[in-house]
This record gives sequence, C-alpha cells and structure tokens, in this order.
Amino acid sequence: MIAQDHDTPGNLIFDYDQANTGHIQTDEDDIKDQFPKRDYLPLPDVSEMQVIRHYTRLSRKNYGIDTGIYPLGSCTMKYNPRVNEDMARLPGFAGIHPHAPLSHAQGALEVMWDLQEALKEITGMDAFSLQPAAGSQGELLGVMIAKRYFADMGERRTRIIIPDSAHGTNPATAATCRFQTVTVHSDERGNMDLDGFRNAIGDDVAVVMITNPNTLGFYEEHLQEITELSRKHGTLLYCDGANMNAMLGISKPAEQGFDMMHLNLHKTFSTPHGGGGPGGGALGVRSFLEEYLPVPRVVKRDSGPTFDLDYDYDKSIGRIHSFYGNFGIMLRALTYIKSWGSDIVNVSEAALLNANYLLGLIRDIFDVPYDRPCAHEFVVSTRRFGEKSALNMAKRMIDYGFHPPTIYFPLIVKEALMIEPTETESKETLDRLAGVLAAIAREAERDPSMLDGTPHTAATGRLDEVMAARHLDLRWRPPKE
Amino acid sequence: MNYIPHTDAHISKMLTTIDCRTVDDLVPEQVPRAARLNLGEPMSEMDVASYIESLAAKNIQTKCFAGGGSYDHYIPSAISHIVLRGEFLTAYTPYQAEASQGMLQALYEYQSYICLLTGMDVSNASLYDGASALAEAVLLAHSHTKRRGVFVDVGLNPAYLQVLRTYCEGADIFISDTINNDVACIIQQTPAFDGSIRDPTHMAEKAHRNGSLFISCISDPTSLAIMRPPGEAGADIVTGEGQSFGIPKSFGGPCLGFMAVKSTLTKKLPGRIVGATQDESGRRGFVLTLQAREQFIRRERATSNITTNQTLLALSATIYLALLGRTGLRSVAHTSYRRAHRLQQMLHTRGFRIMTPGPFYNEFLVETPRPVTDILEHLRQWDILGGVAVDDHRLLVCCTEKNTIPDVETYARGASMQ
Repeated sequence: MIAQDHDTPGNLIFDYDQANTGHIQTDEDDIKDQFPKRDYLPLPDVSEMQVIRHYTRLSRKNYGIDTGIYPLGSCTMKYNPRVNEDMARLPGFAGIHPHAPLSHAQGALEVMWDLQEALKEITGMDAFSLQPAAGSQGELLGVMIAKRYFADMGERRTRIIIPDSAHGTNPATAATCRFQTVTVHSDERGNMDLDGFRNAIGDDVAVVMITNPNTLGFYEEHLQEITELSRKHGTLLYCDGANMNAMLGISKPAEQGFDMMHLNLHKTFSTPHGGGGPGGGALGVRSFLEEYLPVPRVVKRDSGPTFDLDYDYDKSIGRIHSFYGNFGIMLRALTYIKSWGSDIVNVSEAALLNANYLLGLIRDIFDVPYDRPCAHEFVVSTRRFGEKSALNMAKRMIDYGFHPPTIYFPLIVKEALMIEPTETESKETLDRLAGVLAAIAREAERDPSMLDGTPHTAATGRLDEVMAARHLDLRWRPPKE
Repeated sequence: MNYIPHTDAHISKMLTTIDCRTVDDLVPEQVPRAARLNLGEPMSEMDVASYIESLAAKNIQTKCFAGGGSYDHYIPSAISHIVLRGEFLTAYTPYQAEASQGMLQALYEYQSYICLLTGMDVSNASLYDGASALAEAVLLAHSHTKRRGVFVDVGLNPAYLQVLRTYCEGADIFISDTINNDVACIIQQTPAFDGSIRDPTHMAEKAHRNGSLFISCISDPTSLAIMRPPGEAGADIVTGEGQSFGIPKSFGGPCLGFMAVKSTLTKKLPGRIVGATQDESGRRGFVLTLQAREQFIRRERATSNITTNQTLLALSATIYLALLGRTGLRSVAHTSYRRAHRLQQMLHTRGFRIMTPGPFYNEFLVETPRPVTDILEHLRQWDILGGVAVDDHRLLVCCTEKNTIPDVETYARGASMQ
C-alpha cells in the first residue's frame, strides 16, 4: 500500500529554513580575488534529522519493485539483487577518479572488459561500447555510426524504416540525426507488414530499426525476409534491445541478422531503475562497424598493465560521454551476469512463462488484439469498457496496492495495457494480479463511473495534468523580501 | 544465485494452464536458437561478492587532487541511506503520478535547487552527464534559432568538445571559428577547464547582439555558492555536471547532467520536467508535465530522444544540497577555494609556472619544471593522485575541502622532489 500523507500541508524542503546545521560559517573576506560574486545564496539551512524525515516521508509516497509487482511493460521491472548495490559501493570502485593512472584502475578496466566479453557472448555481436548512458543514447550512437559509415562509403542515404509499434525513441533518434522516418505498419499477426516493408525499402534507406521482440510482445517472424531484402539494398539492420529479457540464451540478435544493437543494462541485467535512471545503454556491432565505436576503448595488452584505454582509432565516431559511461551500472550488470553464469537462459524462459501464464489468466477479461503466444510481455485492450478505461483501470489498481502497467502504448492498440510481469514474480503474485484485474473489470462492468477520480487511497487523488501544463509551476521561488 | 521463485511444481502447473509442454513451444520456429551460452558456472552471492571484491582490490585509491570534470567533494553519510530506500531505488520513471509522489516532489525540489544556484527560470529533471547536457543545449539552440553553427570560447573541457563534435556531426551542425550570423549559440565554460572564473557578461552581450543564444557551462557547480549566477549575467541556457553534489566519482559514471533555461525556452527543453498541480479535492501534487515535447508522444518531432535520465542522482544532489544548505555549501566552496590557492602559492614558490590567468576557483593549471609523468610518479609514492596531465609539461591541479592542509603541504613537498 502506498502510505497516506498525514502531514498537512505537505512541506517542501524549502519550508524548513533556519536551522543550526553545524556547518562552519564562512568569512566573506576570505576571498580577495576580483570576480563577479554572488550576493546571497538562497538555499535553506535544514537540520540533518529534518532532511532525513522529509525524504523518508517522501519515500513512503513512492512505489517501487520492493513494494510490490511493478508490471510496467517495456521497462523490465525485475527484482534488483542487493549484492549488486554493495558491489557498486565498494570504495575500490566508487572512490576511483576517472583520471586515475590506469595502473591504479586495472580492476575497473577489467570489469568493463569482462562485461563487454559477456555481452558479446549473449548477443553474438563482435564488439561493444559501454559509453552510452542509456538505451536512447545507445540508439543515437548507433544511428550516428550508420550515418558516418555511409558517408565513408560515399553514399547519401536519407531514410530510416521504423515499424509503427516502435518506441518513440526510434523516430526521435532518426530525426536527431536528420534522417527521414518511414513508418511501416504491423500485419494481422503483429509483425512488421512484409508488403509494406517491400514498398519502403530502397537504396536510400540507411537503417531498419526493429525492436525484437516488438512492443506488442511478439518475436518478429519475418526477420529472414527483412534481412535478405535489407542486405540486397546495403541497408543496416538495427536491433532495439529494450526487450532482450526475452532472448537471453534463447536467441542471439547477431544470428538473427542484426548488424548493431543496444542493450538497456538496467532492464535486462537488473540494475535498479532509480525512479528513472541512471541506466546503461551498451552498443554492440558486427566487426565491419567496430572501427567506428567511440573512444576510448578498453583493450587487453600482452605487456605492461593488462588493461588499457586506447584512443587510437582513426575512424572512431569520437566520444559521447564525459568519461567512459555509467561505470557503476556496468559493475552491477556484471555482478548479475556472473551470478547467473550460463544459466542466464532461465531468466528469459521464466519471463516467457510468467507473461504467457498471466495472459492466460486474464485473456477473457480483456480484448486480446493478436491471438498468439507472447514473449516476455503482452498487450491487451480495455476498449470494451469504454473510452479512458485503460487510464481509469490503471489508476484503480493503485487502490488495490498494485503499480499499473504501461498504458496507451503501443499506439496501435486502442486502450492498451502493456504488461510485463518479469521472471522474478511468483505464481502467487501473478494470480493475485489477475484477481485484481478481474475485480476491477467487474467494477467497471457494474458502474464505469466508479473508476473516475481513482485512486482514492494514494498520497493524492487523480492529479490534474492539464492544469499542470497550462499553469506551469516548475519550481519553488523564495518569498519576496 | 537464483532470482526466480518458481518450484518445479509451479512451473508444471503454469505450463498446464497455458497448454504448453515446454517454454520453447512459446518461441516461433522462425527465431534461430542459440547454442548454450558460455558464461561460466553460476555463482553464489558469497562467491560473486568475493570475485567482484577481488577486482576492486586491483584498483588503488589515493588522496585525490584531480578534477577535470569529476570532483572529490565529501559525501555526507545520510545520502546513501535515503537513496537506497527501495521505494526510490527500485521505482521507474513516474508515469503514474499518484503512485510516485515521493520522487516527483524530490525532482520538483531538485529543479528548484538548480534554478536557485544558476539564477535561471526553469530546470529539467536531469540529463546523462555534463558533456551530453551541453550537446543537448546546442541542439536546443539550433532548433530555436534555426542556425547551424556553434561558437565555442576557449576553456571548454576537451572531452566535452569531443562529445559536442560527435553530436554535431550527427545533427549536421558545425563548429564555427567566428561569430557570424549562422551561429546558433556561443558556449563559455566557467570555471573554465584551466580553473579560471569567467565573467560571462561580455560574451552574453556579444551572443545577443548576434541573435545567438548564450550557453554557460559550469564545471564544478559548488562554485555557484560564491560566483555570480550565470542567469544574472545574461545566460540563456546553463548546463553542467552535478557529480560534485554527493555523487561518487565511480570512475566517471554515473554522473548528473543538468540544464536550466530562461522561461522563453521552457517548451524547447529536452527530457523530463516535473510540475506542481492539484487533485480533485485541491491537494497539491506533482506530475511529469509538458510531455508533448517528449519522444513517446511527439516521436520524430520530439525536442530530444532522451528517455531514461539520471533521476536517482538528481535525488542524491537534492539531498546533498538540503543537508549542506546555504552555510554548508558556502563552506565547501570557501574551503576548496582556499586550499587550491594555498597549494598554487606553494607550487609557485617551488618553480611551477602558473598558467591559469586571473581569478580561479578550485582548479589551476601549472607548467611543471620537470616532465608531468615524473611529478605524478613522485606524488604517487606519497599516496597522492596529483592531477590531470594535460600534456608533457602541463598539469591541472584541483583541491576540495577533503584535501587537508597537511595533505596540501605533502603535495607541495612531493611535487618539488627531484
């Protein structure tokens, strides 16, 4: 259950000004240099205990995987093992400065090397860069590399093909790199429509971006044809690996025909999502694209300190991170992968089993847009309960103590609920989730208006998003003197 | 370890429910099957911890006088106790506001802190790091002015310049040598890479006369406790790296990109923004707002492709700023400033040539009387990371409040030994 807010009014941290914090008062005369100085620093002085109470109170108004199942589709909200946190906080890692001499950072470089090797084995790709700080930056890097690759070949390609089920990041990434997006519709089985693809592909297409399994939760069944046609036109095949949790040890994207892919380390390899980050967005490529990867790259030497950072790649795209990427996230991902070892296939098998089991339990309550087994997640429609029913049912779930699934995505399914239970949820939890969805469906059948204005038991009632966007209040301001 | 709760009995019951013999029946025949992965034997928690600890033991931690974009400020204990609370740690992007009020309010407070420090009107809820935040600011300037050039003033962190070049190539933007009428923005870093404090007023005026935006890039933002906020000097966009605010150095990541703008640019901001609103009974609450800018709605017309940001680190920064407050943050800035000036003086009298012109904050560049590698090697014997080698004869040295006076004296002695 989400805690009720018993404090009225709910203070902001800025409402607690004027405590004695014990910090040393500074003397203004300390700084003799002439440069434009600040007159007054308008930050509140809050006692440590009050800070702890304030943020503890806020934490109780938040829902995480630790509070209960968090079936947010496409986000892979699996349990985050705590040993990974402890490893990332070891002073030997957390305390290393990025400009430390490499002889003092051999362990950190070994972590990066080991992770790259593991990711190569898992995906079949030939080389990895760990620099991207999140999946969308991995995508951006991938498309930048594709752009440079074709420029090197003396080819001007202007289009990128993206299926209509894709995450919004794919077209946004293509546009950032000034490509024109061509959308291909989905067919009646939820695959990319082959005729549509045949019409779209051509010698001016740089990249085909495919999420596999796609956001409807289905493995793409036409990959062989898509790969063959793409090869014929010299087009690169990009895999959005957001849904890799369905493929660990089951299938390797490189063997499916992909030339490059990103992984969301925070999803597949269970690093905590932190309320929206930090993530990790490793990019893998086949060997013919390897020389374009960002510098510096971690390399293993035969002499001297074993691991080194190599900047010497003429064709490298440059860099995309201030340093080497989200190292702390890499460390958690490596710990997770080492824990599982080769048994990591169990993760994807259980993710598939859980998703299909849950779908089986609730398929009669909702409309199922495509009749086929799903991979690690699935999409149902609540359209039989009327307009806004997905939103209302999602909010009602909060009253039952469950975090809602992703709603209204993918855009091609009306009143969509996109549900990803992940492998770490038990059968009992899935049974309870199905029971709650059934109960809410009964409520909606009896009296749909009952769900308006839900949730009733959360920290707040239904919040007015329109008001938030019309009357922008994006920060606290100090009271006028 | 095994993080899957099913017993064999559960699995067979579940398979029966979905009318399947094995899980493999759920995977279409078109999907090529992988051979068994070669990732070694599974490890118990005890074994994996001892393996990872053995890697940590291969790193060597020393007293840190290095900056260059990552700063060794003290991290108060209270921060990790809060950010490790599962309600924060294991949540995701607060799409469902009513179940995410804690993080949303913390992000609203974060945005407020960034605005108070920078003197700007609006902040987003974080970006990846200092370098990509700057690159995003350039994309914003391009989209706002429809111009394709960027003018970069001297003193930008070279790694940031490299990241900027990569983004520019992707987005068909070029780095211009002159300030001409195709320049979308002028970038100036303060404190600059060599540590010098810049007065942005002059460059900001130049930018505005040219119809360009002025971007102020902050290296160590604890400097904002004493420097005039760039917003008061005419900055249109302020970006920077927030790692100084309670975030471990962690070999350079994860860190915290921040971006704040004048209110006229609010709708061009990349990334998440949190706003205050009300529920039906008039209670204040917080939501993600202005989402029509974002990729999941606007797709190819979004202001950026960013999705996941660095929320937990924005929370760390917020708690850091709450714990330090005005008195504590000024104390950090003053102490860092004084220690750096003391060390600079000591090195100056020992034959190091001072290369940072004018006033500086907590970093300075010196020309070394002997090769930089020799000096760093000497300092290593004193358990000191002596700075960032810029080239064979120039060293960038940084102090924070963690560098005690005895350490500063040891540094000066160690660096001047033959």
